[in-house]
Amino acid sequence: MKRLALVLALLAALALPTGASAAKAQRIVALTPFGANTLVRLGVTPVGIGQTLGGNERFSPKLKGVEELPLSHPNGPNLEQLASLDPDLVLSSPTWAKGNQAMGSLGIKVVIREPRTIAGAYADTYKIGQLVGMKHRARLQLKAMRARVDAATRGITERPKVMLILGVGRTPFTMLPNSWGGDIVSKAGGELLTGGVSSSSGFERISDEVVVAENPDIIIAVPHANEDDIPSLTEYLRDNPAWASTTAAQTGRVYVSVDNSLLQAGTDIARTIRKVRRAYLQN
Amino acid sequence: MARRASVFAALLVALALATVASLAFGAIKVPFSEVIEIVFGNGPGGPDQQIVEALRLPRTVEALLVGAALGIAGAILQGALGNPLASPDVIGVTGGAGFGAILIIILFPGSIALLPIGALCFGLLAATLVFLFAWSGRNRGSATKVILAGIAMLSLFTAGTTGLLAAFPERAPSAIFFIAGGLTSSGWEQLETIWPYFAVGFVLALLLIRPLDRLALGDDVAASLGSKPQLIRLGAGIAAALLAAASAAIAGLLGFLGLVVPHVVRMAGGSSSHAYVVPASAIGGAALLAAGDTLARTLRAPIEMPVGPFMVLLGVPLFLWLLRKAV
Repeated sequence: MKRLALVLALLAALALPTGASAAKAQRIVALTPFGANTLVRLGVTPVGIGQTLGGNERFSPKLKGVEELPLSHPNGPNLEQLASLDPDLVLSSPTWAKGNQAMGSLGIKVVIREPRTIAGAYADTYKIGQLVGMKHRARLQLKAMRARVDAATRGITERPKVMLILGVGRTPFTMLPNSWGGDIVSKAGGELLTGGVSSSSGFERISDEVVVAENPDIIIAVPHANEDDIPSLTEYLRDNPAWASTTAAQTGRVYVSVDNSLLQAGTDIARTIRKVRRAYLQN
Repeated sequence: MARRASVFAALLVALALATVASLAFGAIKVPFSEVIEIVFGNGPGGPDQQIVEALRLPRTVEALLVGAALGIAGAILQGALGNPLASPDVIGVTGGAGFGAILIIILFPGSIALLPIGALCFGLLAATLVFLFAWSGRNRGSATKVILAGIAMLSLFTAGTTGLLAAFPERAPSAIFFIAGGLTSSGWEQLETIWPYFAVGFVLALLLIRPLDRLALGDDVAASLGSKPQLIRLGAGIAAALLAAASAAIAGLLGFLGLVVPHVVRMAGGSSSHAYVVPASAIGGAALLAAGDTLARTLRAPIEMPVGPFMVLLGVPLFLWLLRKAV
């Protein structure tokens, strides 16, 4: 009887794939940098990745050579191009809502994983680990991520009032605590100014009167632009007459961040927090 | 005459109320007595003074100027082209200005300070192309040719704008306010650059009041009275192009105002005389835009919304009511 049980157990072990082999069997396309980098950290190489806003510098070097899919709003990738990769699973974003439906109708499993907060990034790391059968590695990753973030937030000396704005021109939107950038700035020690506004989108166009009344110490702009544009955009924002009386404008603490580290979730949370503290908050 | 006088009186009251509301209300509550003191130069200083002096006052002036300019542009175009559907859209200005602004926002964000100039230049370029096509070949300068050339140019520039937005979707949110029409709290800096275009447009429009009344009798009758219909049409087109392009440079695309306000004042006053319609449209447009902008920035304060939809909400019920009475 014991021998029979042993044989059955052995057969079952052979029949059921291990976590690692399950992951290898899956062809995964990750449309967000967060999804793509998380997969790499879990030891899984996707068969396709989505083109990011503002360049590829945030992708893991291990993703070099992986097919890159251009994305268009709100459809996401070209469906023919995606189908040619024959994916079993697509890690997508709510941004490509229309495309997500279409991918689903092609019989592809679509999972939305684009965190907008640091806590959401932790949760999604574990969920992606579950999806690809790498729960243990995901747990280890989470532990390491938390430790790095704790180290990056240690020793905060001051908590300046910060306004984080999105877009260009005289009608920018303010990023709220439930946006990726808003959460990063708060974690880095900034007191995020929002005029008491909340929005499920994570950003809102708030009145310049509120900016004057709340008087930020620091204004960080996250426009869509190239690195070469930083000096002219900074000058333009510093000269905004609506903000002239704010401490930020008067002390020259109006900054421009043109990479997308404050715009779109990434796995490089600790590095982004360090950058915000060093370059902008100086705390 | 009495009816026109009462319409003028009502419009002036509306203008005064809209101006006061625009200065008094905003995202931050400033006591009305303090607003008055600040406007008359006796403010107590501090953030409230900054808010009223540097944000609300220039924004109110911009709303009044742009509203008046669009009202006048619509009135003179409808008169010059003899077409009730005429507005700054019809001579291509709105389409051109939209393209110029979106070009800067999407492709040259580092030169964002040039946005008003981009809108102004492309608005005027579109109008120039319309005039060139309309004043060439047979039936040059006819109202039909101007309208058809304008629609073609509007389609061309709108296609360019749509193409840019589709090609760079992640940059589109920055363009929303311009497309939907919205004033900003950017102090006096935009007006310092744009005011000469308004000035020339206003003066030209005033000079055209009598010639437009003659043109309303028909091209042949106007010509027999010594007028030059094509020249009047060209002058009206240039004035409207200047006013509408300068308006777009400051407040984005607000075509509705130029279309509806002249009709409202015509129906309310029961007169199509340009000596009445042009100034009444200026006052009505200014009041409507100032009121719409106040609503846009106070209804969900401190969130600001584009002003275009609010003007439609304010203007359409009145327009439909008058239309029902007129028909």
